[in-house]
Amino acid sequence: MHDGYQLSSKLFNKLYGDSEPLREIRVLDLTHFIFGPMISEFLALFGAEVIKVEAPDEGDRWRLGPYWWRYWKDSNLLFHHCNANKLFIAVDLKKPKGRDLILKLASISDVVVENFRAGLAEAWGIGYSQVSKINPKVIYVSCSGYGQWGPLKYLPSFDLIAQSVSGVALKTGFPGGKKYKLQDYYGDYLPALVGAVAVMAALIYREKTGRGQYIDIAQAECMMRIMHDWTYLSITGEDLGCSGNVDPTMAPSGIFKTSDGKFIALAIATDEQFLALMKAMGRNDLAQDKRFQETLERLRPENAAYINKIVEEWIKTKKATEVIELANEYGFPASEVVDDWQIINEEWRKERRSIGEVEDHMYGRVVIPIFPATFEKTPAKIKWLARPVGYHNRYVLKKLLGLSEKDIKRLEKEGVIGYWDNVVGLRPPCYYDIERDPIFNYKEGEE
Amino acid sequence: MTKRVTVFSRHLAKRGALQRLLELEKALSTIFGSVEGKPEALEGVKVVELSYANFAGIITGTILAELGAEVIKIEPPSGDPARRITPYGVNVNGIGIPFLMESRNKYYVTLDLNDEEGREKFKKLASQVDIVIDAFKPGFLDSLGVGYKELRNLNKGLIYVAISPYGHTTSRGEKLRNIPDTDLTAQAGSGYPMTFGDPKEPEPYNYPLRAGLWAAWYMTALLAAASTLVALFHKFKTGEGQFIDIASHDVITSWIGASPIWGFLFKRPRVRIGEFDWTLYPYGFFTCKDGLVTVACVRDEDFRGLLKILKLWRLEDDWKYLLDRITDDIDRLKSLNQELNKAMANFTQDEIVKKALDYSAKSARSRLRAGGFPIVVKALTPSQVLKEEHWHIRNTFVHVDHPSLGRFIVPAPVPKMSETPPRVKWIKCNVGEDNELIYKKYGLL
Repeated sequence: MHDGYQLSSKLFNKLYGDSEPLREIRVLDLTHFIFGPMISEFLALFGAEVIKVEAPDEGDRWRLGPYWWRYWKDSNLLFHHCNANKLFIAVDLKKPKGRDLILKLASISDVVVENFRAGLAEAWGIGYSQVSKINPKVIYVSCSGYGQWGPLKYLPSFDLIAQSVSGVALKTGFPGGKKYKLQDYYGDYLPALVGAVAVMAALIYREKTGRGQYIDIAQAECMMRIMHDWTYLSITGEDLGCSGNVDPTMAPSGIFKTSDGKFIALAIATDEQFLALMKAMGRNDLAQDKRFQETLERLRPENAAYINKIVEEWIKTKKATEVIELANEYGFPASEVVDDWQIINEEWRKERRSIGEVEDHMYGRVVIPIFPATFEKTPAKIKWLARPVGYHNRYVLKKLLGLSEKDIKRLEKEGVIGYWDNVVGLRPPCYYDIERDPIFNYKEGEE
Repeated sequence: MTKRVTVFSRHLAKRGALQRLLELEKALSTIFGSVEGKPEALEGVKVVELSYANFAGIITGTILAELGAEVIKIEPPSGDPARRITPYGVNVNGIGIPFLMESRNKYYVTLDLNDEEGREKFKKLASQVDIVIDAFKPGFLDSLGVGYKELRNLNKGLIYVAISPYGHTTSRGEKLRNIPDTDLTAQAGSGYPMTFGDPKEPEPYNYPLRAGLWAAWYMTALLAAASTLVALFHKFKTGEGQFIDIASHDVITSWIGASPIWGFLFKRPRVRIGEFDWTLYPYGFFTCKDGLVTVACVRDEDFRGLLKILKLWRLEDDWKYLLDRITDDIDRLKSLNQELNKAMANFTQDEIVKKALDYSAKSARSRLRAGGFPIVVKALTPSQVLKEEHWHIRNTFVHVDHPSLGRFIVPAPVPKMSETPPRVKWIKCNVGEDNELIYKKYGLL
């Protein structure tokens, strides 16, 4: 067992590690669920000091949404993935004193991110117009479904709602058949990356000019940005629609079943790749066929359907590994459709540490997704996992705002700041002795 | 007279707040309304984009170009085959739709890298820029002597962004280096199709299913752009460049993170459950009299609201908590789903959407309803989306009238930024169109 001092100095060193490109950036994170939290999570992975503010007692509702009710050590792993490396405080934004605390934190932050319904932050007195008055250099990010202005701005939204109002929702599935939403909250994770790009661009601009700005991210607009449908519609007069497992931009393309019952995705993007595939299949005749030689001809629906059928029959006679070997030998795009269990066991992902083992002082060892890009000099790191509601109250309020133990006790009594309800997902793991935790019981000046 | 606004929070309904919000709305439509004359965040940042039939690389370049970087796309004299990657072969003057969409704000330059002179020019160019995007097969540029190893010696501050299926630095990337990248294969390698579809459907409709748009390529590009900007920020502070390795078959996997989390928790792959979700219910499509609506009830109070408006309160007792509704007993859940669908069929899309909005607006003003917001919207087709006034007010779409390419619509850059808005400055697509300009500027003549 560590003694308190040793443990805390070890942890504090971790807060300010080297090679962290964003270590001087402080982020005030007023977000919940996935969309907002993943923007600040992106910054936290590169060393930014992210202060996540939750409502006392209930916390971020995403704490309570694990897969099929499968909690891990009394917490939600999906929540950990969105909230690693953050500092957790719980403040009641609806109380004037709570608002004052938030404004104080906002005045010493570089970035503020919120994803309340449009207008709510403003109504509580912590919106862009209020924060920019006390901190003109702030980069303030508002995340919502429809954006902060325009007639639909007050409508509530989630990933799936953004998928529906942007037209994405009807694009997955076979023509005339059942439609499927994009899984795993794609409509949150993609807009979050748009937010990451925007915040980084704004930070770079601020570095040069000293000027902050307001960023308005509409989930639905982000989904519209990645659709070909608008341009297609404006040129052909028709909706692009859905096409099952065929990618209409490539021919042949699809997900095919192999002789050993596995699934192979194959898509041919260029003439060169088509020749390679035909060589691998021993179909020189088709390589010479006028219908398939040139990409634009090959993509015509009738030609694409014809060649797809032939590829389907061919893959039926091959094992998955055989197809992949041929793809590598001849140079055409093909991949096995892998599943969750394969993914967690694939060596190459561990090599690049996109999925890796993390050792956490509260939760112990876990294998968790870290970050998909490998950096030579400034890698993304998970230093600690998410924490219970209000865990860093003392640490943040004493260290950053200079409050005393007496001040904090008073705020607790008035219900301005708070902690977790005794509910799985919000509270520390049952085996953990929170009373001995040096950060939760942070004593100022003893570090 | 001001139009009455419907709001969904009692905090917004207060008189003072509404007045403030009206003023804010006006201010926002002014600051976001126009991009004219505003500065660009990445002005002065120079980028060379090399990609061959790989839109992950192309779009990464586009995103940086939208933010004001000078992005020079290098193509072989015959042009990038990506120009012809297009839905059903639809094209304008031989240019496909994705390329048309992603061609904004770039400079088009040809260099023959198979030729010694072309390589020398490329090296000269790369030694003067901040960022090189390499979306060729791993090792291809190295084999020509113009990879990161060489360029780093010419340009200490170079940020080299490599995009490939399995990364340049992994054992699998090395072994399968000859397999090119596409969106569909990247989806498959990310495990994404294994989460879609319904195994109970007849073959081949029960297969793992492709996400119906370039889910992998776009996410890869955004992740690459965001990562590049982190490296650029680091470069501004330290002068130091670096290598960034992006694996398209790993982006959905570890940014969304659902697959490894499921694998770690359950020690087996996910069971595909068709139209359902593993963490929320109701969270999906329902069939009305005249089409599909989408319903999202994330909290128990939202679900109670839905039961109220569908007049299904009798079900409340059995399905009270999310815990009751999120279950691996899919047949049991199907019985609830059937009840909801049956009730939904009594309404048209518009009726049920209005009912849900009215309920939410009322519950926003009442403490008793505990803030339930059952969200119901129509599932729209793109042509319906284009008719929505909201997006036109926000300039979500750019209407292009091009002298040689004609009229068409492209989506505007996202998001809205008050000080340095990303924008479409021009659209041009001709191979080698900017050779003279760029050759001159970088001393390549």
